[in-house]
Amino acid sequence: MDAIEVRDLVKTYVLGEDHRVEALRGLSLSVEEGDFLSVLGPSGSGKSTLMHILGCLDQPTSGEYRLMGRDVSRLDNDERARIRNEEIGFVFQSFHLLARASALENVELPMLYGTRRPGRVERRQQAAEALAAVRLSDRAAHAPSQLSGGQQQRVAIARALANRPRLLLADEPTGNLDTQTGGEILDTFARLNSERGLTVVMITHDRQVAQYASRSVELRDGRILEENAGESSGC
Amino acid sequence: MPNRKPPAGRFSRLLRRLSRPELVIERRTAGETALQSLRRYPLRTALTLIGLAFGVAALMATIALGRGAQAAISEQVQAAGLNVIQVTAGNYRARGERPIGGIDAPIRHGRLLPSEMLRKLWRRLEPVARAHPENDPMEKHDHPTAAERLGDSAAGLGAAATLTRDDADALGALAGVAQAAPGVHESVRVFRGERRWFTRLHGTAVDLVQIRRSFAIQHGRFFSARELRRAEQVAVLGSVARDQLFGQEEDPVGREVTIWNQTFEVVGVVASSNWLNPGVPGDDEFDAVYTPFTTVHRLLNLTNLNTITVTAASSGRVTEVAREITELLRERHGIGEAQADDFTVSTQASEVLGKGLHPKVAQTLAGNIPNLERTTLRQLAATLEQSSRTMSALLLSIALVSLLVGAIGISNVMLLSVRERIREIGLRMAVGARTGDVGSQFLTESVLLGAAGGLFGVALGAAAALLVQDAFGLRVEISAGAGGLAFVVALATGVVAGLVPARRAARLDPIVALGSE
Repeated sequence: MDAIEVRDLVKTYVLGEDHRVEALRGLSLSVEEGDFLSVLGPSGSGKSTLMHILGCLDQPTSGEYRLMGRDVSRLDNDERARIRNEEIGFVFQSFHLLARASALENVELPMLYGTRRPGRVERRQQAAEALAAVRLSDRAAHAPSQLSGGQQQRVAIARALANRPRLLLADEPTGNLDTQTGGEILDTFARLNSERGLTVVMITHDRQVAQYASRSVELRDGRILEENAGESSGC
Repeated sequence: MPNRKPPAGRFSRLLRRLSRPELVIERRTAGETALQSLRRYPLRTALTLIGLAFGVAALMATIALGRGAQAAISEQVQAAGLNVIQVTAGNYRARGERPIGGIDAPIRHGRLLPSEMLRKLWRRLEPVARAHPENDPMEKHDHPTAAERLGDSAAGLGAAATLTRDDADALGALAGVAQAAPGVHESVRVFRGERRWFTRLHGTAVDLVQIRRSFAIQHGRFFSARELRRAEQVAVLGSVARDQLFGQEEDPVGREVTIWNQTFEVVGVVASSNWLNPGVPGDDEFDAVYTPFTTVHRLLNLTNLNTITVTAASSGRVTEVAREITELLRERHGIGEAQADDFTVSTQASEVLGKGLHPKVAQTLAGNIPNLERTTLRQLAATLEQSSRTMSALLLSIALVSLLVGAIGISNVMLLSVRERIREIGLRMAVGARTGDVGSQFLTESVLLGAAGGLFGVALGAAAALLVQDAFGLRVEISAGAGGLAFVVALATGVVAGLVPARRAARLDPIVALGSE
């Protein structure tokens, strides 16, 4: 089954009476479960818009989006919030950690929402497991300011994993990191992808970064430009 | 549920949300999240709390003061002794043909020299009923007492010491009478070692302490019925006399004083509970010594009384009871139709009304207004209450303004907090917080601030009220109801103040929120 199936996706922003921006112009894409896809493209190519729609943060103007076989393109706010909570884990370029909360508390965050809402003990345990998966168990009590950039991003990955989603969406996850730390983060994605069969979609403008993915597509002016089977990371 | 379209309208959406079983868990996590957020910004939380707490405290203190004032007023009205009837031996008004406040007096004023006028005025100010030709029997204790030499009439009881103990008992038996306390009054020197103080001695009965509502037993007790019966040498000091003899606020219970070279044991101290009438030197009530009248009779070898202090069972029937007393005493004293009373019956109301009137006019007037007491009582109460209400309204408006400021403070802080944490909100939405979750988190934060501010405020207000009570001697009444009200107001303030910020947070677009720097 395809994890993501997108057909003729159009997203138009109406900014004024005669001013429309067509961010996505009939984009089609499918991602199999267990894939590690990178979406390449320069700024303004529509990759952020695609990311928002894939992450159920936004709705397409037209077109269809099926996530895990279910049409999610016309859901209301609350239902999309639930999908984000249960099916999707987000990793952002700027980490987006709560500054005054510990690493563990940050990881617990997604468990505070959604329909299941485990109790304190279970939450703590599940968050600890997620931190272990990114090898940060020893930093659980640290505040983000006490962690390096790479560690912070790993906390963010742990947070994305907390509710055990099937899809991981990463938006320029290495954009704020140096090459070496970025490489560690990308290795983490690759490992989670291969060990857990987690579907990963990563948006980047950097071809080097895109190479970590098993497959990559390039976006230009709101459409898929080309598709090439990615070489496995060997550099 | 996922595929069902939600019914339109905010209200039905709310209903749908409220009817879900997982609501309890959602509340709990919202509470936890809100609490965490508040804890993460301790300074901001504390400042907001203080702002609201002051408003609530002001409200709380206002209620306490207002209620205290009201309670004090109703007590003062009672303590003013409007149901007290004073029966005095002799009838100075009838005997002396000089009217107390003559109707004809103003006519003569024009012809008087200023010095004569002053003398005249002075004479009028002189207390008529306090003429005691022999004030200090102590001086002659080695010799036969004044009473032995001169008889009652000359021994400080006036020419008309006509009241007896049996009269007092008879008055006490009247239907409309609650208490009747005999009184023998002397001016005495009280000694305690080197110290001495010239004051009033009241020989009276146990009932007096109930009659004088402004009496508060500060130390010890009033003398007992047994001590009265056995004419024991015990004394209850007025607070002023105590201050003079023993020092400010000293507890003299168990110590001894000497009057007429006789030793009296101090068994108690009475002070004023009435802020309109605190004890002052020379006031006859707290600058005084109280002993059993039997003791005075025994030591001075007297038999008659100067006064009988009577209380009417109902403060609305004072005039009626006064008339009954007059009739009974005339009958007991064998006074004929044409003769004048050999005693004087006065009430507070008749004294107030009779000021400056010819006694006959005053008497007629008082006798013909059956509800006089009730009228004056109500008027007095109304006047006092009106002024206290004005004060309460003033304080309440101050409290409301500070509450408003507190509410604006919370609202402001919450709005700032929404702006400051806009990325946090975006993130929470990205990881699955619904608009409702975000809204209820901020609303819960605000309500928690309100509740905590309310608790602090109630405590602060109670403390402030007690402080005012101690510092200014104003009476305050702190009630659970007032505390509850102040707390609920604080909570409501939290809700109202949180609505706008919560709405603003909930309506944020996660993409915009995440992208903002």
